Amino acid sequence: MRLGWKLRSNLVGWVLGILTVAFLAYQWLPILTLGLLSFAGPTGGTTFPMNGVSFHWYEELWQASVMNDFKPPLLRSSLLAAACALTTIVLSVMAAQAMRGKFRGNSAFFYLMLLGIMAPGILVGFGFAIMMRLLGVELSWNTTTFLVHVSWTLPFGFLTMLAVFNRFDSRIEEAALTLGASRITTFRRITLPLILPGVIGAGLFGFSLSYDEYPRSMFTTGPDQTLPLAVMGQLDRQLTPEIYAIGTTTTVFSLIAVLLCTSALWAMRRSTSYRKT
Amino acid sequence: MDTLAHTATGSPAAMPAMAPPQLDLELRGIRKRYGDFTAVDGVSLKIRKGQFVCLLGPSGCGKTTTLRCVAGLEEPDDGGILIGGREVTKDPPWERDIAMMFQDFALFPHMSVAKNVGFGLEMLKKPKAQIAERVQQVLKSFEIASLADRKPGSLSGGQRQRVALARAMITEPRILLLDEPIGALDYSLRETVMLELKLLQQRTGISFIWVTHDQNEAFSLGDLVVVMNHARIEQQGAPEDILQRPATAFVASFVQGNNVFRGRVVQAADGLLRVETAAGSFLVPGSAQAIGSEVSFSVRAENITDLTGEHHLNQLTARCTTVEYFGSVRRHIFERPDGELLKYDQFGAYAARIAAGQVAVLGWRPQDTVLHTGAAG
Repeated sequence: MRLGWKLRSNLVGWVLGILTVAFLAYQWLPILTLGLLSFAGPTGGTTFPMNGVSFHWYEELWQASVMNDFKPPLLRSSLLAAACALTTIVLSVMAAQAMRGKFRGNSAFFYLMLLGIMAPGILVGFGFAIMMRLLGVELSWNTTTFLVHVSWTLPFGFLTMLAVFNRFDSRIEEAALTLGASRITTFRRITLPLILPGVIGAGLFGFSLSYDEYPRSMFTTGPDQTLPLAVMGQLDRQLTPEIYAIGTTTTVFSLIAVLLCTSALWAMRRSTSYRKT
Repeated sequence: MDTLAHTATGSPAAMPAMAPPQLDLELRGIRKRYGDFTAVDGVSLKIRKGQFVCLLGPSGCGKTTTLRCVAGLEEPDDGGILIGGREVTKDPPWERDIAMMFQDFALFPHMSVAKNVGFGLEMLKKPKAQIAERVQQVLKSFEIASLADRKPGSLSGGQRQRVALARAMITEPRILLLDEPIGALDYSLRETVMLELKLLQQRTGISFIWVTHDQNEAFSLGDLVVVMNHARIEQQGAPEDILQRPATAFVASFVQGNNVFRGRVVQAADGLLRVETAAGSFLVPGSAQAIGSEVSFSVRAENITDLTGEHHLNQLTARCTTVEYFGSVRRHIFERPDGELLKYDQFGAYAARIAAGQVAVLGWRPQDTVLHTGAAG
């Protein structure tokens, strides 16, 4: 018997759905595994089966020893990521606005901006470190690392903002201009509120890409390490479930941040929903 | 200021006798290029206070660019713009005494209707209480008071149109610029909205510049109709002027109901020219044209008859291909000897005299023919 095309398309839908679920499991199970193992008992190993269940390794993380205190690197990485997010927001909005105006050499500018995504991180970090040495600039997480991270996060924010402006109806801005609003007022009152979802997206890119960046930090950070460097250092010395605990903690924080942003976005989208005729 | 040039033109509308008529807008040969493309090529225009002006033309003719130059959204490469006698060519939009209505209304999607409407007053830094009061008043007069707290996204096309109009009118600008303002509305709404806008314009005395490609809009609304083509003004005048005396072959063919002929002058006598065309030889009023010069002329569909008498000196025989019946008009489409179409309108709801497929002799008087004397192109 021949199957109707609707039924066949339903079957294909199911197959694709199952594949999608499998992919998502593949993506999330490792993190879940780490999460589970971080609750191992005090004598716990780093693999299954778990030796008891406890908050021991979280306590360990909190009452840090001199050798492996993760709190300063955590603070540094958070500050660094926040700074990168802010810088990415400001620069990517400005760069994308400039692209709307189609200036001379704008396509060259576009590709140069994207170079930050293409260039291998280790080379960028290493090259930057050499350059700083030549210039006699001391390496530090809040100067040199910050600059390298922005060169990495900015193109992502830039692409996000380009996509946002691509769908933007500039006649809305023109309406404001003809109603007596200057360019700066128009940006503040009209443009910015309308692109805010994209701006938050660019900021999230900036934060998360900087927060877990390893290769670009490796050569550029100096003595005070960022969190990924500190974790890798600890992995080199001794592998305990404490590493899992820190991984889980930061993942939870990231999830909370993303959830807050998306729900804010959703609320905003609801209030500004705009049917195009 | 030059006050003589415009006194001779236009209808003798109520003008204070003592004051010289005031110009709301003057364009002095504005030109705008985008790379190799010339969008506006030397457009000059004078608009008196309180005039309803329609810029009419096919898409890409430069009418919208002209409007955007007046708004200040584009800066002309050449020429001058004066609003109320003040030179504003280089001024930004927000310093001009204008407001603009866009085709898809361009309402601020993140603001309520009341906020949208009050935006112009807010920009003038009026006190909050005063803005709120005036917004209420305006919303009421546009019959949209019940929508005050709604967001534009939840409004119908007609409601949006009212909000956009209220937003543009609240500051009582000197000139309101309207870019295809009813193009986005349902067909059934358009006639009502047109009438409302015409009445609003007459009541407020604000000059309207209305850009459209629809000649019905232009002729039914405009005190002054400006026909544009290929970045230039082809003809400007009262609707009757343009309908009855098209100045160029373009205007004649763009305006509905004209039959355009092109040919060569072969003879001239007694104020009449004999013009040889591919569809035959016709008499056309005129005397300034030299023998042998290329001319174009047109005759309106309603000036043609199939009941030809001796004064119908221009005649041609053609086959009727189709008949369109509009109630008060019966339009016959004939195929001319030169392959073009000939339109002949029979008025009144009388019985049809000519059926499709029939061959008929059609005629018209020389004085019903208009020789195109405007500089074409």
